[in-house]
Formats: sequence, C-alpha cells, structure tokens
Amino acid sequence: MRWMRFLRREQWDEERAEEIDSYLAIETADNIARGMPPEEARRAARRKFGNPTMVREEIYRMNSVGFIETLWQDFGYGLRVLRKSPMTTVVALLSLALGIGATTAIFSVVYGVLIAPYPYARPNEIWAPAIRSATNPQQGRRDYHASEYLELEKLPAFAQVMATSPENQLLTGDRAPEDFTAVSVTGNAFQFLGVEPILGRTILPSDVNASGQAEPVVVLSYGAWQRLFNGSADALGKALLLDDKPQTVIGVMPPRFGWWTNAGGWLPMQMDRHRARTVFPIVRLRPGVSKAVGEQQLQALHLRLAKDTPAYYPKEGFITFLSNYMDITVAAGEMHASLRLLFGAVGFLLLIACANVANLQLARATARAREISLRMSLGAGRARVMRQLLTESIVLSLTGGALGVGFAVVLTRMIVALMPEFYVPNEARMTINGWVLLFSLGVSVATGILFGLAPALQCSRLDLVETLKDAGKGSGVRAATGKTRNLLVVAEVALSVILLVGASLTIRGFVNLQRTELGFQPERVLMVGIQLPAKRYATYEKRVAFAQNILQRAASLPGVQSAAIGNGGLPFGGPQSAYSLEGHPAAESQPIRVGLISADYQRTLGIPLISGRGLTEQEVAQGEPVALINRAAGKLWPAGESPIGKRIGLELLAKPPGGALPAQRLARSDASSFVTVAGILGDTKNDGLEKPSAPAVFVPYTLMAPTGRTLAVRTRGSPMLLLNAVRQQVREVDKDQPISRPITLEEVLGFETVQPRFNMALLSFFGGLGLALAAAGIFSVLNYSVVRRTHEIGIRMAMGAERRDVLALMLGTGARLVMAGLAVGLAGSIVLARFLRSEIFQVPVTDPVALLGVAMLLSMAALLACLLPARRAAGLDPMAALRHE
Amino acid sequence: MPNQDKQPLAGEMLQGTLDLLILQTLVPGAAHGHTIAHVIEHRSEEVLQVEHGSLYPALHRLENRGWIASFWGTSENNRKARYYRLTADGRKQLREQTSRWDRLAQAVNRVLRPAEE
Repeated sequence: MRWMRFLRREQWDEERAEEIDSYLAIETADNIARGMPPEEARRAARRKFGNPTMVREEIYRMNSVGFIETLWQDFGYGLRVLRKSPMTTVVALLSLALGIGATTAIFSVVYGVLIAPYPYARPNEIWAPAIRSATNPQQGRRDYHASEYLELEKLPAFAQVMATSPENQLLTGDRAPEDFTAVSVTGNAFQFLGVEPILGRTILPSDVNASGQAEPVVVLSYGAWQRLFNGSADALGKALLLDDKPQTVIGVMPPRFGWWTNAGGWLPMQMDRHRARTVFPIVRLRPGVSKAVGEQQLQALHLRLAKDTPAYYPKEGFITFLSNYMDITVAAGEMHASLRLLFGAVGFLLLIACANVANLQLARATARAREISLRMSLGAGRARVMRQLLTESIVLSLTGGALGVGFAVVLTRMIVALMPEFYVPNEARMTINGWVLLFSLGVSVATGILFGLAPALQCSRLDLVETLKDAGKGSGVRAATGKTRNLLVVAEVALSVILLVGASLTIRGFVNLQRTELGFQPERVLMVGIQLPAKRYATYEKRVAFAQNILQRAASLPGVQSAAIGNGGLPFGGPQSAYSLEGHPAAESQPIRVGLISADYQRTLGIPLISGRGLTEQEVAQGEPVALINRAAGKLWPAGESPIGKRIGLELLAKPPGGALPAQRLARSDASSFVTVAGILGDTKNDGLEKPSAPAVFVPYTLMAPTGRTLAVRTRGSPMLLLNAVRQQVREVDKDQPISRPITLEEVLGFETVQPRFNMALLSFFGGLGLALAAAGIFSVLNYSVVRRTHEIGIRMAMGAERRDVLALMLGTGARLVMAGLAVGLAGSIVLARFLRSEIFQVPVTDPVALLGVAMLLSMAALLACLLPARRAAGLDPMAALRHE
Repeated sequence: MPNQDKQPLAGEMLQGTLDLLILQTLVPGAAHGHTIAHVIEHRSEEVLQVEHGSLYPALHRLENRGWIASFWGTSENNRKARYYRLTADGRKQLREQTSRWDRLAQAVNRVLRPAEE
C-alpha cells in the first residue's frame, strides 16, 4: 500500500495538515493551562512548531521522487513559456521537425539497407568462400563443382554448410509459358537461413534422399504465389510443370524472403558428384573457430583438389578467403557510398537546425534574463536554473521530434520510391520501425541538449545585480549572446554551403552524365531478351535457326526500320575474352569485350562506321570469321598501323567458357579462334556512362550460340506500339517460348543514371532544406538585432542618417555574417571533399560552376532574409525609436 | 551533567539520532506527535531542542520504512490526534540502532576523554 502515497498525495497532504493542526491545538491548550493568555498561547505553540508549510512541503517532497517531480514542473513551465511566444516556437519546431525528420528518414533507410537488410538468422555470421587468382584479383570464382562441395561440407571449421544453384526453368501447363527462376537449394537450406514459411512447410533435409535424389517439390516465393495462384491457400498440393516435370507446391515463403529470387521458387537440390551445374556454398563457422582458421582449412582443401582437377583452379596460383555475406551484398557498391554520404548530409542538416533553434532560444533567454536573475536571487541554484532551461529545450526538441517522425514517414516513402531497387537487396525493408523510433528519440534528446546548452550556460552565468538593475534590457547578456548568435549564424551558413556544394556537385555530375556522348542513338529502339531453354534447344543448329527466324520476322514487321540480334544489354553487355593480335607479341592486358551481332547492328543502334566496311548479310549467315572493332580496340594496334585486314584471336571462340553455366553457349564446331577485322565502328559507351569505352570486337552472331540473345528493333513510330507484334512473332516460331519484358533502349539508359539521380535528388533536397533553415537563421538574428538596436537607430536618424544609410547598415551587418559563413563553408567543402573522395561526385570539388552557383544561390537567399528586417529598421519613426526602451 | 551548558543543540541533531529517539519514545506504547516531541525534549533535559515541526517529516519517514504505524485516535483532552506505535520491524531496528549507537558513543568517548583530562 505504501506506493499508493505517490498517487494519493493530495489526501496525504490534507491528513498532515490536520495532524499539524492537532499538534497546535494540543500545545495551545497546554500553554493556556500553564496560564498564558489564549493569543500568546497560540503564538507560543506556533513558535515551538516552526513553519508548518515547510514541514508539509518536506513531507510532500518525500512522497515524490524529487527529480521527476521538478522535471514535471519544469516540463509544464516549459510548455507555457513556449506557448507564450508562438512565432518563435513554430519556427523552432519547424526547424527541428525538418532536421530530425530528415535524419530519421535516412536512418530508416540505412537501417533497412545496411544494418538489417535480411530476414535470415544471424546474417552477419554467414560466410561465402571464394577463390581468387594470385595475380589478378578480378579473376576468381565463388561457385563450386558438386564434387568439391561434398568435400567442403566435411571441413571441421564449419558448423553448417548449404549450397544454392539458380536456374531458369520453363514453366508451362495451362498458363502462358514463363521463364521461372528455380533456385535449387540443399535440404538444410531453410534451417540454415532460419525463416519460417507462411503456408505449408519448407524444404527439409528429408527431401533429398541418401543417394542424392530430390523429391519433386517446390516452395514458392510470395511473389510467385500471388502471381500464379492469386495468393490462394489451395496452392498447396498443386503441381507446377517446370521443364516438363511436375513439382508439387509444399509451401509459401513470406514476402520478405528472397533467397536468390523473389519471384520464383526453391527446389531441393539433386546432389551427386557428377552434377553438371556448379553450386554456390555458404557456411557458418563452428563456435570459437575464427575466420582465419576457416580460410586455412579451405585453402588446404583447395590445394588438394587442385591436384586432382587443375583445370578448375587458376594456373598462376590462388588464394582462398571467406567474405561475410553482409559485405558481399550490401557493404560494397554505390548504394553504400551514397547512403553514407546522405547520412553525413542529414547530420549537417540537423546541426543547422540545432544552430537555428539555439539562436531562437538565446533570443528568448535574453528576453527572460530578468526573470531568471530574479529566480536566482530568490535562491534558485545555478544547476537548477540550467536544468530548467535544458528541460525547456528538451520539451521543444521532443515536440519537434514527434513532428519530425511524421515528416520522416513521408520522406522515407519518397526515398523508397526514388531508390534504384537493384542496388538494394530485395529483402530490405525501409520503414519507421521501433529501432528507428528509438533512434529519433535519442536524436531529439541529444538535439535538445545540444541547442539548449548555449542558452542555459549563458543564463546561469548572469550578473544578477546588473541584470536586475537593467530593468529587463539584459545588458549583462547582450554582448556575449550577440557574439554567440553571430557565430551560430556563421556556422549555420557554412554548413548549408557545404550541403549545397555537395548538391551542386551531384547536379553537375548528373548533367554531365546526361550530356555524355553515347556513341549510339537510343531513341525508338525496342529490346527483347529471349532466353532459350537449353534442353529444348540443345544444339548449335537449333539455336542459330531460331535466332535467324526471329530476326527475319522482326525485320519484316511493318513499322520496323531495321532489326538486329546481339547479346546482353546490347551496347552495355556482352562476354569478355582474352585476345591476341596476330603478328604481335601477347601483351599483358585487360580482356576485350565481344559482341555477337547481325549485319544490321550498327544501323539499328545508330553507330557510325568510321572506316572499312560493315558485315554483310552473307558473312553473318555463313558465320565467316570477320569482325568489326570499335575505335578503342583499334588503338590496341601500334600507332600508324591500320587494323583493317589484320587478324585478332579470341579465346572465347576457341573454347567457350564452361564455368558456372556450361552447355549454355555452343560454338560452331569448326570455328577458328581468329577473325579478320573488316571495319571500325565509332566508340559506344560500354562500361557504364562515366567510364571511357572499353575495347570491343563484334563478330557474326552465328559464330556462337548462347541460349540468351537480345533482339533489338529500331522503329519508325513509338517502340511500344510494336511490342505485341514482336511477341506474336516469337509465339509463332515457338508457342512455348517466353520472352522477357520488352524494354526500350532509353529505359536501359535510365537504369544507368538511376543512382546518380537518387544522389542528386536527395542531396539537392537536403541542400535546399539547409539553405531555407540558414535563411531563417539569418532572418531571425537580423530581425532581433533591429529590435535590439532600435534605440541606436533612432539616435542615428536624429543625427541625420537617411533611411538608406540605415538600410545599408543593417544589410552590411547581415552581409558580414553571410560572407564569413560562405568563406568558411567553401573552405570546409574543399577540405571535406579531400577526405571523402567519393565516387559519387563525378566532378572535382573545385568545379567553378558548382561553387559559383552555390555562392549566388546563398547570397540571394541571404539578401532576401536580410531585406525584411533591414526595411523594418529603415522604416522606423525616429521619435518612436528614441523613446523605445 | 550538561546542565551548565543551556545552549540547546538545535539543528545539529543527526537525522539518525532523531529517528532513534522517536523509536525509543514509542517503546512504552503508542503516542501522538505532540507527546513524542515533549517527551524527547524533557528526557534530554531540554538539550535536544528542535522545532517540533521537524518531527513530523521524521515520523513520516519512519512510517514509510514500516518501522512505525499510525492511526487516528483521541488525545487526552478529547482532540482528534494521530497516534504512532512501534511495529515489529521498528523494534528490531531500535535494538540494532541502539547497540550501534552504544558502540559509536564508546568509540567517540575513548577518543575524547584524554583531551578532557
């Protein structure tokens, strides 16, 4: 019952009062009995007792946890103070909401993408083994042959090992044929990953029997379940016809599970030593075993295996390493760099907001100097006053934080919409979750302390006598706070300059990217990826015949200007191959890109022929050993030597790569590895938009027969109008052949710029916010200084200063602050850029256009912010100003 | 005897001491605040003179600790008064505190006596 005293304090207090009354009554009665007159008796009793109020207060305090009690008081008082000056409060709250909201939003993305991108159990303890060439770190592999995997499984360093092997299978049956991503996993995969299904069961070790035979079952991804079965629970027990083999649906995974696919399904892996496809293993280390020990055991195994099958291992020697799953998939790459940068940017934004609010709070504190010195002279301790001011700041920042979370919800949605999805694991979820909320709570409190500290320190150092004497003008604080406020504004401007420089650099980079000379004409080109099922098109002849057929049909469609067949993303994709120039010693060099093309390739993509001639229909149809090269490849020959008529040897043609996907690429059986250069094409971007074109050689597509080809058609009108016609042609050739989603070349280009666009959009947005906040800061400081200097301005005017002198005076004050901030900010960005050296900025930080733009923008905003208060000062009535207290 | 020193030790009283005195006062039976205050004052021959009001927070504290319990009753001259009595816990505390106090007083005496002589 004793804790009840915290709740029933009013009643308790009444009882105490009654008890004290009872004491006084008894004592008075005793005194009267001793012969005192009643009045005297009562006074004596009171004297004896002491101060009843103090006694009651002491007991009252005992009934409360003192700190919380006063905190509550301060809290209430803080709210009242904030409500008393609504304008300042609104500005402060807005600043905070923007600062905290932006930080929270970016944190929710960082959390979703970098900290907890996966739904798997302990994802940071998953390791992927890899073999890397001793001489060339670019070369190596992560996939293993089944026989190797079975050995790897036995290593004592690993507690758990699983393997994955993705494959495209043809889904047929009573639905439109579809390319289905069937990911084979070992029986223990789902236990390894530790994710439960939402329906049915997962694959179990018992789905693969002792001799390695797999049960004909499939676990569907959430996406496939929705697409194929409309999310109906009846799906369980139904069969899917995959590569003509029925597989029974046994389970459905939750939406946030996408092991190697989020639109296909998972099959138990057929496991025997002679399995044709390689597998990708991942492991968990045994407790207490270090990564180094795991790597040692693995390397020893590799060395042993390399003796048996030297062809599988780099001949120049190799090293083995384990890489953490989190590092492979998230830590590397542009998204990581860009999120780190954005996190820094919102940190700056938050600091600007803090400086802004600190300024407002300082102004408020100056106005309250008298109140505070009164409190202190009445006995309030320094610590107590500081605590009260800090509590007020935290009340402010928590309210701002709450608003900020609302802003963050909107902002996070915007960011997710802008986000290039393929840079982010498909399982990443970017939402305002508990951790994010906790983070923003922490940020709010920290912010409150940060911006509350300056005013609190200032106030608690008040010169009491001076301040009280000064009748509220607070000269004791004036000089000092004036300086602090100016410093804050300079810092604010400097920070926003740094943000703006970052933003303008990304804008410049993006514009440059848009203006990049592509080397081809992307307009009105429709591309369709065609993936032939390897089993149904098992021979070179079948595959080439299919391609020829499709190409002819596409070219003769009405509305098509020209059609070409190639590989990969046409200008961007394509295999690479080692090469040799006939008559020249082999040079240590990067591999060359190989394009498999048809005769109309350069006409369809709009690539100029520089010299020589193109490939003829005849040559392509026959698969003659001829080639076109791009200008970059032409430079591989010594200067002055024309490559035309020379021969170049391509290792790719001699031995089609086995590796991960054997039997997918067939070469013409009699193909020579040497081709003769017939002509030189202009350079096209083929290594990303930022990088110069890599050397490339184009050979007739009939020299090889990969399963995947890309059909490109240049249309007369809108390319999308031809979409169905192209589909129809494919269906007529083979009704069971699926085609990928057709895409225009301009869309492909869009993918190339999506990350720069993301960086540009967000940095510009944050830069804009920073500028707005800084402008608000400049405005509030100047506005306050007008109020403060009204008297002085009055004197100046009385002594003959014109309005325009006053205007110049005020603008000059503002300009000095802005210029100082601009200088510090520009210097700061150059220093920072040296540290960052981020690939996100494609232009150097000293880019004059970017810097000049920032300086202009900031000056404009600052001028606007200064103009209002300056005009107000100039418009003062000298007589009223002089009388102003 | 400290009679020659009529200066009361007000304010210097250690909190623990006051608690101990209150508990001791309640040994014979329940009493209300007024009685307790006067008993302490008389027993110490008016040396330990405190403002009687300061007794009440101490009573409250002891009650919160569960060493004494209170109830409303009627005073000797028929006034409503709050009575306090020792609880079992309180008795135990009193025994422990008293022996501790004795040890402390002895120790202090041992230190001070040579100086007195």
